[in-house]
Amino acid sequence: MKIDAPREYVVDNLKYALNPSSIAVVGASRYDAKVGYKVIEGLSRCGYKGKIYPVNPRADKVHGLPAYKTLLDIPEPVDLVFVAVPAFLVKMVLEQAVAKKAKMAVIATSAFKEIGRGELQDSLTNYCRKHKLPLIGPNLVGMGSPYLNFNCGFIPYLPIPGPVAMISQSGANLLAALGTSKTQNFGMSFFIGLGNKADVDFAEFIVYGKNDPYTKCIATYIEGLDSPEAYIKACRETVPEKPVVALKVGGSKIGVKAAFAHTASENVGTDDAYYDDIFEKAGAIRVTTWQEFLDVALALGQQPPLKGDNVVMITNGGGSGLLACDHFERIGMPLRELKDISFMLSLKIRAYMPMFGSPLNPVDISGTASPVQYKGALHQAMRDSSVDGVLCSICPTAVTNVPAVVDIAIEMYETYKYLGKPFIMECQGGAECHEAIMKLRAHGIPAYPTAEQSVNAMVGLRKYGKILEKLG
Amino acid sequence: MAEKTKSEPVYMLGTDEQQQWMQKYDFAPRGIGFAEPGICALDDPSLDAYNIVKSSYQIYPDVFNVDPVAKAVGIKKEEVIERMRRMYDERLVMYAATSNIQVSGFGLYYWLVKLREGTPDAAKQKLANWFQAKDDICTGFECRGDFDFYNGNHMRVLDNLLAEVIEPWKFNPEVEFVHLCPIRRNIRESHVNMFDAPKGEYLKLYWGKNQIESLAKMQNKMDLVDLRIIEALNTRRPAEEMFNFKKISDISGLDPEAIKEGIVDRIDVKKTLAPIFYLNWPKLGLTNHIFVIRLFQITPSCRKAQIADELSHVSEFNTVYEFTDSFYDIMVWAYNEISDIDALRKLLGKYEDIEYIKEADVYKQFRRWACRLDDKSGFWEETVMTDDFLQDWTEKRTCPTDCCSKEGK
Repeated sequence: MKIDAPREYVVDNLKYALNPSSIAVVGASRYDAKVGYKVIEGLSRCGYKGKIYPVNPRADKVHGLPAYKTLLDIPEPVDLVFVAVPAFLVKMVLEQAVAKKAKMAVIATSAFKEIGRGELQDSLTNYCRKHKLPLIGPNLVGMGSPYLNFNCGFIPYLPIPGPVAMISQSGANLLAALGTSKTQNFGMSFFIGLGNKADVDFAEFIVYGKNDPYTKCIATYIEGLDSPEAYIKACRETVPEKPVVALKVGGSKIGVKAAFAHTASENVGTDDAYYDDIFEKAGAIRVTTWQEFLDVALALGQQPPLKGDNVVMITNGGGSGLLACDHFERIGMPLRELKDISFMLSLKIRAYMPMFGSPLNPVDISGTASPVQYKGALHQAMRDSSVDGVLCSICPTAVTNVPAVVDIAIEMYETYKYLGKPFIMECQGGAECHEAIMKLRAHGIPAYPTAEQSVNAMVGLRKYGKILEKLG
Repeated sequence: MAEKTKSEPVYMLGTDEQQQWMQKYDFAPRGIGFAEPGICALDDPSLDAYNIVKSSYQIYPDVFNVDPVAKAVGIKKEEVIERMRRMYDERLVMYAATSNIQVSGFGLYYWLVKLREGTPDAAKQKLANWFQAKDDICTGFECRGDFDFYNGNHMRVLDNLLAEVIEPWKFNPEVEFVHLCPIRRNIRESHVNMFDAPKGEYLKLYWGKNQIESLAKMQNKMDLVDLRIIEALNTRRPAEEMFNFKKISDISGLDPEAIKEGIVDRIDVKKTLAPIFYLNWPKLGLTNHIFVIRLFQITPSCRKAQIADELSHVSEFNTVYEFTDSFYDIMVWAYNEISDIDALRKLLGKYEDIEYIKEADVYKQFRRWACRLDDKSGFWEETVMTDDFLQDWTEKRTCPTDCCSKEGK
């Protein structure tokens, strides 16, 4: 439901959504296959230290904890009320939450506006707004933070700690990102499923992310913006400090209907240009695919903005270099020849390649490149003052010592981090490359399995650099 | 037979095309829930009233229309509410409903289990524990007599029942027999007449003469006023008088008129839902006596139905079923403590159509109304779904206990 700007009382209370000292789970179930049980199990398993109050009028105990008939029967104050009861009971629960003076309500329940019960959803929102009880949802999967050991929802595991705050209308995609976090070393600061975003909107979580010390980049997965003005205001307030990435879906002819059926997102009358304009005004970096969303968010979370177009790519695979330079050009940021970036660098770098190597850019140090040659080439590229950013690629040949090159990349990154130049790796290959990616990401270097992904990431960093330039 | 017209449909579900079915056949079409026009999922808006009440009566007993209850019992409305709250908190009553599952394409399969003479108590207990924990079983009772367990499932595929629920223990050495009793007609459950009762008797309440008074005297958990309240709540009345729609609307925020319209259609018009206040009789110290009746197999089905109907007019029988495709044809229940079981036995003995009767006393209840009722293990009113829709259980699952005697199950 529309807001004009991020509301202060909501932003203030969002700490209770991610770091409450007490939680009431309404609809807590005794059966371990049911959502109301999973919520409590997830909280306990992930190490939540606050108080948990199961609410279930049929049960005496849930997950070994005393159960209460209603919120009002809980003897202590409650910060967060997590609601996992059918839609037709939510009004009753919210009234009790207000009477209980809870700080935050989260409604996991579906079957509101997305199935035509817009009037009911709006009336609940108005009620909560009147009583200044921020409401997240309905129709969401949950939220959490690995830094706070907080997993609240029907979420199987926490992501690994990291720089990206994930704000998603889709629970399924959020869960996919959580899975990616584990398998791809994609670290998150916090995550939240907004669902129908009846009350609390993107804008407020963006401002929360700006203030969150663990967050370095805010990733927003959007099915529809009810409050574009608020989104723009929140981003403009945030972007000078932290980048915002935006993936907008539901723009295709049938996607418009699917987005409404999913999260009641209204897209009729909007088009790509409409959202281009919003993101332009907001200073958000728009991406178009899920993979690009993750790749760019990770790069922005781990690396500084790219302040100029002079990117040098160092690779031991000519093919990988070709894929990259074509993609750079395709998406509007063509690579420049090395001699045009830095004539001296194009001479120096020859020392680290065989005679059949190429100092063009991509710099092909050849398939026989040793760790020493990688180190030398990276040294030179990083130190050259004309170079704004470095993209390094490993293609494992029989003579490539991938782990050693990875260690050198990490060493070079650590050595020259103070220069504020983005450094991205591409590791194109099998299991050894997957291990390399995991290790590099763990050391704060965005690493990707394909040339195109790494190029997208670098271009994302450049876009953020330009946004900052524009903002002055 | 009078001609069935579009304006006066005989079959209350479905489309005009289905009404035409009844012009052509004398039995109602039965199909798959969701796909069968007129059948709805359990969270359909037309069931909002029932669902809201089922989820909130524990807190707000006045979701029911208690005015006629107060009037019938002769006490104030507030006292009715207070007593209802207490009865629930003490796990003496539970609100439930039977959905007319057979029109949704389910089979309702009950089954008797007899253990061999001399089976150790521990072996019986082990099986009882398995039944208690098995969520595919919607109804479960432990008995003593001609059989040891009386359990039930509603399922769509008989093979699923056999493979997943019965085979895991069927070949245990202590098992003498398992006899399936698929329901042909669900006539009465827990004193309330169901969908297959004789015409005009749907939802009619039956208690034997002075049974309620006797029950009030034999225990101290529910007094006569409590029992009269439950009697009044279960007394047949139009659906629009059953509930407090304003309260239901206050709780849910939904339109009271739409809620009313939906539930009236389900209960009174389509007759696919029979709500009931279940008396937790084991907690009151009652046991049930079951008569499972085998008619001579030459008995015509019309006679069988006639006998079932006649027995359904015996007020002491709190449960009456007619079976099909089974060794048995009819089953009736009566409480041991407040019924004259010998008299009932004699009454049954007068039917020359009866070949024999198996009898047993029910002294322990596992599940009822697709709910676990074992408050001792902390699962009072925990709803379990027992639908095998779209599933093939013959391939699959692992037996959850070590009572399984077959490798690989």
